[in-house]
Amino acid sequence: MRGAGGDTVVAAREVTRDYRQGRTRVRALRGATVTVRRRDFLAVTGPSGSGKSTLLHLLGGVDLPTTGQVIFLGRDLATLSVEARASLRLREVGLVFQRFHLLPMLTAIENVELPLAAARVPRRERRERAAAVLERVGLEDRLRHRPGELSGGECQRVAIARALANDPAVVLADEPTGELDRATSRRVLTLFQELNAAGTTLVVATHDLELADGARRRIEVVDGRTRP
Amino acid sequence: MTVLARNSIRELRYRPLRTLLTVAGVAVATAMLADMLMLGGGIQQSFGDLLESRGYELRLSPKGTLPFDTEATIPGFAGLRDSVAGVPGVERVAPVLALSVGAEVEERGPAASRDAVRTLSLGLDPDNRGLYDLVEGDVPGAGELLMDSRLAEALAVGPGDRLRLAVAGGLDAWGHTASVEVSGTGDFVFATVRDMPLAIPLEDLQALSGLADQVSFVMIRVGEGHDPESVRAGIAAVVDRVEVITLAGISDRLDERLSYFRQVAVILGTVSLFVAALLIGTITAVSVSERLGIIAALRAIGVSRRRIVGDLAAESIVLGAVGGGIGIGLAVVVAGHLESILAGLPGLPAAVRFFVLEPESLAAAYGLVVATGAVAGLIPALGATRREVTALLHREEP
Repeated sequence: MRGAGGDTVVAAREVTRDYRQGRTRVRALRGATVTVRRRDFLAVTGPSGSGKSTLLHLLGGVDLPTTGQVIFLGRDLATLSVEARASLRLREVGLVFQRFHLLPMLTAIENVELPLAAARVPRRERRERAAAVLERVGLEDRLRHRPGELSGGECQRVAIARALANDPAVVLADEPTGELDRATSRRVLTLFQELNAAGTTLVVATHDLELADGARRRIEVVDGRTRP
Repeated sequence: MTVLARNSIRELRYRPLRTLLTVAGVAVATAMLADMLMLGGGIQQSFGDLLESRGYELRLSPKGTLPFDTEATIPGFAGLRDSVAGVPGVERVAPVLALSVGAEVEERGPAASRDAVRTLSLGLDPDNRGLYDLVEGDVPGAGELLMDSRLAEALAVGPGDRLRLAVAGGLDAWGHTASVEVSGTGDFVFATVRDMPLAIPLEDLQALSGLADQVSFVMIRVGEGHDPESVRAGIAAVVDRVEVITLAGISDRLDERLSYFRQVAVILGTVSLFVAALLIGTITAVSVSERLGIIAALRAIGVSRRRIVGDLAAESIVLGAVGGGIGIGLAVVVAGHLESILAGLPGLPAAVRFFVLEPESLAAAYGLVVATGAVAGLIPALGATRREVTALLHREEP
C-alpha cells in the first residue's frame, strides 16, 4: 500500500465538515485543500476554532468529510469501512495529541508497545521495536517509567514514539507543544526535524509559531479554508 | 494478557480502597447467592438422601397425610398387610405406630418429676431398623424399649434400667401404664431436634394405647429389580383406603411445603446477582468515564473497538472473579451458621440439612457472578467505544 498514489501520502480536496451542536449546524471546514507528500514536514496554523484539528482528523481518517475527498495512499477514505479505516490508521498514521493520552498504569515501553500489540506484532519483536523507537526519541533510560514519573516533554516524546511504533506513512500531531514550556517545545521541534530528516512525513497543527517556522512548509487555516 | 488488559488490572491496584470495597460488595453478594442456591435445593436433596438411605421405598399412610404428619391411624392393619403382601414386588411390610407417651425412670419414683418426659414412642417390628441406628445394647423385645441416645443421656439411663411408660392422660394421670426395660439406645434418623423417641415392639404399644390392629403408617420394602412406582400402583389398585406414596412423592410433598424457602431463596439470590451486577457495572462506568480521553485516543490511533471493550471488561471480570472467589468461601462459613440456626426448625428431621455444600451450586454461583460482572462491565465499555471519536477528542483536548 505504501507505494500506491505515487509521492503523495494524503490529499484533501475541497473538504467540508459540518457538525451539529444541539440544533445548530456548525461548518468547521469550508472547502479545505491540502496535499502531503512523502518526507513533508507541514505545519498547519491558524487561530483557535479555525478547523486545524478537524483537518488533521480528516487527513488521518479519524473522521470523514461532509463533502469533498480525502485520498490516503491512493485510496478514498470514504469508501473504507469503520474498521478498515481503523486498521489503516493503526498501520499508516501516527497520531500525537496535545495531552499525550498515555495509559497511566503502563510504562513508557508498554505504551509504545500498544499499537504494535494491536497490529498483532509478536511479543518479542514489539518489545525490541518499542525499545528502539524510544531510543530514537532519546528515552532509552526511561523505558520502565510510567507517565506519572516522567516530565511533560518526556511524556510527549513517549507519545511521539508510540506514533512512530508501526512505522507509519505520516505522523499527525495536534498541538504537540500546547502543554509544554518553551524549552521543552524547542526540544520537540528538534526531534520532529530529526525525524523528518530521517524520512518521517509530518503534519503538525499548531499555534506555536516557532514550531511552525521550524517546519519545511506551512499552510494556514482561516475560517475553515486553507491558505498557502 | 494484552497490554490494555494489563493497564485495566493495574488501575484496580492503583485504587485499592475502591477496589477493596467493590470486591467486598461482590463477595457478600456472591455469598448470599451461593447460600440461596444451596438452600433452594438443599432440603429436598438432603431429605431425599435420608429417605433413600433407609432402604424402604414406599409408605402407606392415612389418606391425605404423610408419615409423622398426624395422630390419625390406619385401622385393620392385619387385613391391609395381607392385601399389600400379595402385591408383586412387595418384599417386606413394616408397620409403625407413632404415639406421644410419657416416660419416667422407674426406680427414682414418680415424685422425681424432673426425670419425667413426654416423648414420641414408635411401635414397630423389633427388627425394623428403617427408623433408627443401634448405638448400644440390643433391639427391643417384648417388654423392652430402645431409647434415643440423647434421651438416655438426659435421663442418665442405659441398657438394663427400667422405665414406666404412660399413654393418654399424661404422666400425672397414668391412665395406661407399663413397666419396660431399656434394651439399648439408638439414633432415630427422622427425629426432630426436640423429639427424643423411644422404640418398643408394635404389639406392646398397641396394647398400652388400646389401639389394637392400628398403625400410623407402613413402610414397604420393594424387591430388587422391581420399579417402586409400579409397585406403588399395584398397591394402590388393591388398597384404596390409604395413601400410597413413593420416596420421590414424599420429597415432592415436602418440597411443596417448603416452597416458601425456595421462593425466598430465588428472590434473595436474584437480588444478590443484581447487586453484584450493579456494583461492577457502576465501578466500570466510573472507570470508563475517567478514561474517555484515552479511549478516544486509542480509537483514533486505530485500536479496534472490540479490543478496547474486551480489555475494559477485563477489569470487571477480575472484580467478579476475585470477589466471587472470596464470596464462595464466605458462603460456606455463613451456611454453617445458618444451618445451626435452622436446625431447630420444628417438624423436620434433625438429620436434614438446609444447606447442602454441592460443588455444582458453588460453581454455579461463582460462574453467575463472573458472567454477570462481565456483562455489567461490558455495557459502559461498549457505550464509551460507540461515542464519536472526534467529539470525544474535541472534548478532551483544549
